[in-house]
Amino acid sequence: MAKFVAKRFVYMIITLFLVFTATFFLLASIPGNALTMKIHKLPAQAQERIMQKYGYDKPAGERYLLTLKNVVTKGDFGESIAKSGDTLGSILQKRLPPTVRLNIQQMIVGVTLGLILGIIAAMKRAKAPDFIILIFCMFMTSVPSLVIALILQLTLTGPSGLLHLPIIGWPKGKDLWFGGWQFTILPTFAGALFYVAGYARTTKIAMLDSIYQECTTTARAIGMSETQVMLHHVVRNSFIPIVTFLPGTIAGMLSGSLFIERVFSVPGIGSYYVECITQRDVPMVLGFTVFYSAITIVSIFVSDVLYGIVDPRIKLVSGSSR
Amino acid sequence: MAEEKVMTPQVEEEAVEIGKNWKANPHKWTGDPNQPLLEVKNLRVSYHTYAGEVQSVRGVNFDVKHGEILAVIGESGCGKSVTARTIMSLIRHPGVVKEGSQILFEGKDVLSMSKKELSQYRGGDCGMIFQDALVALDPTMRVGKQIMENLRIHSKMTKKEAKEEAIRLLDVVGIPNAETRFRQYPFEFSGGMRQRAMIAMAVACQPKLVIADEPTTALDVTIQAQIMELLKRLRDEDGTSIILITHDFGVVAGFADKIVVMYAGQIVERGSRKEIFYNPQHPYTWALLGAVPRLDWENKQMLRTIRGTPPDLVAPPKGCPFARRCELCMNVCLEEMPPVKEFPGEGPENHGHSAMCWLYADDAPAEVREKAEALRVKGGEGHE
Repeated sequence: MAKFVAKRFVYMIITLFLVFTATFFLLASIPGNALTMKIHKLPAQAQERIMQKYGYDKPAGERYLLTLKNVVTKGDFGESIAKSGDTLGSILQKRLPPTVRLNIQQMIVGVTLGLILGIIAAMKRAKAPDFIILIFCMFMTSVPSLVIALILQLTLTGPSGLLHLPIIGWPKGKDLWFGGWQFTILPTFAGALFYVAGYARTTKIAMLDSIYQECTTTARAIGMSETQVMLHHVVRNSFIPIVTFLPGTIAGMLSGSLFIERVFSVPGIGSYYVECITQRDVPMVLGFTVFYSAITIVSIFVSDVLYGIVDPRIKLVSGSSR
Repeated sequence: MAEEKVMTPQVEEEAVEIGKNWKANPHKWTGDPNQPLLEVKNLRVSYHTYAGEVQSVRGVNFDVKHGEILAVIGESGCGKSVTARTIMSLIRHPGVVKEGSQILFEGKDVLSMSKKELSQYRGGDCGMIFQDALVALDPTMRVGKQIMENLRIHSKMTKKEAKEEAIRLLDVVGIPNAETRFRQYPFEFSGGMRQRAMIAMAVACQPKLVIADEPTTALDVTIQAQIMELLKRLRDEDGTSIILITHDFGVVAGFADKIVVMYAGQIVERGSRKEIFYNPQHPYTWALLGAVPRLDWENKQMLRTIRGTPPDLVAPPKGCPFARRCELCMNVCLEEMPPVKEFPGEGPENHGHSAMCWLYADDAPAEVREKAEALRVKGGEGHE
């Protein structure tokens, strides 16, 4: 296991290095950056001085080596050009907690509801509950979460809304991680419904697959009730495809809740990232891209480990040692 | 017996010493030994498919006595497995057991059992061994745990007791290092081991009847013989009745007490093992026996094959189902269902030998009978 983790860690470093390099040169090949917009009205001499200050007078290759050195030695991607004073670290510190909380809540709600609906749909296949869930899933997959968020906001919030929930905002201070639920309910559901749909469909298909496996007949033949067969054998065997779905969810959520963050004014990193891109804030875009890549790789690693747990036929380490 | 020498592969003594009995107290049935344990009466099962209603089983009758081994034999798609599953009440949508069918286990109709009774009956009174243990066992669950599940459903054993019993069972069916094996997954077992584990699971709760649905089809002949030996011991030591579903005469040769030959969802011939092997009466049985390779044949002798395929059971023929493939087919065979002809047995060996064929009608033409005699010799030759 340790060997496996070490190997994966090395791969991760290599991948991150490649992501870093590619992003850097792609950004460098675009004409202009955050500075050009800021200084284009200044006299040429002043422009040159400012460019010099941020190191943009040097050729791209040299800048690349310099940035790489800073990243490797100090973990420093550089200061934001658009918003002076911001660095990747400071932004993460300030803006990561709301995003993480939002995502955790979305995942808990989305995956749990999705699994439950999927199991119901599979057990009542080709009957009314199955059709209702199917229609719901189709709807939720095809309508962007942005639209869902706006509809929820229109119908449920404010003085005229059904639930009198706050329209926008996010808990702060001591409520940052736990509390201020009325603020988090809508953003959570608006984002989670998409995952409910995805997981419900995946679960249903996986369940139907294993319902018709021979081992369920064996289970019935030793006197198990239908419910026992479902819980002991069918659900167990359905987890393999579901686990495949998981890393995508984790990775997708971080960037995917961007619209939700915007609509509900959640001070998270999703909205900040997009702002950086539109402003061509090179150091910040670089930093966030590498950060997202790292999260994606880690979640894929987690799902690989989970595979081994849900299906004993999959062994992480080849050979005899385990 | 000559036939055993011929039909069953010779196997060396099992490598694994099997010492213990199946269980501490083998169950002894009380009451009339002639009262059958299981009676199947007029069983009809259909599958509703897009192509129409597939009549898989069309009026099957047989019974199994205490401690008896019944072999159901026939080629693929003739309703053997469906019959076996119906006895366990395992038929699911789109399969339907037709009205008028009865399966009486100790006098109680399995088909009208409540969920609770069914749960006790399945696995408790009646165990089932499936054909391919790799798919029949849950691939993601430890073998021991699957055996424990059965024990825990049917008895009030604690987890610890169930575990000990499961290990003992694995040991009894001849799995070495039972304690290590207990913790392994089905994919870590070899084919024969898996089938042994399957048997351990089926017999865990000391059922009175074990249904073995092609238990050796996925195995090579050496392992086949070992598994059959294991099943035979189950009957000899514990008096368990066994229904063996197979398409292989070689498997039943040294094993079955009674044989039922099925074709196109019907029983075409039935009788004791001796009667079926030494004195088969139905052309289909001759054909099946003729298709078994034999050690006493001269070299280069062609095996007989049966031309064609079994009839489409969506629209079963109105006459004899075997007529279209039968070398002795008469006009009447295509038109009307043949009568069942009883053959008087010799002495106490009589198990009610009968065959369903027009050949034994009083007005069957002489030339067809002559032709039949020629075929009969071919089929029965070497078994005597």
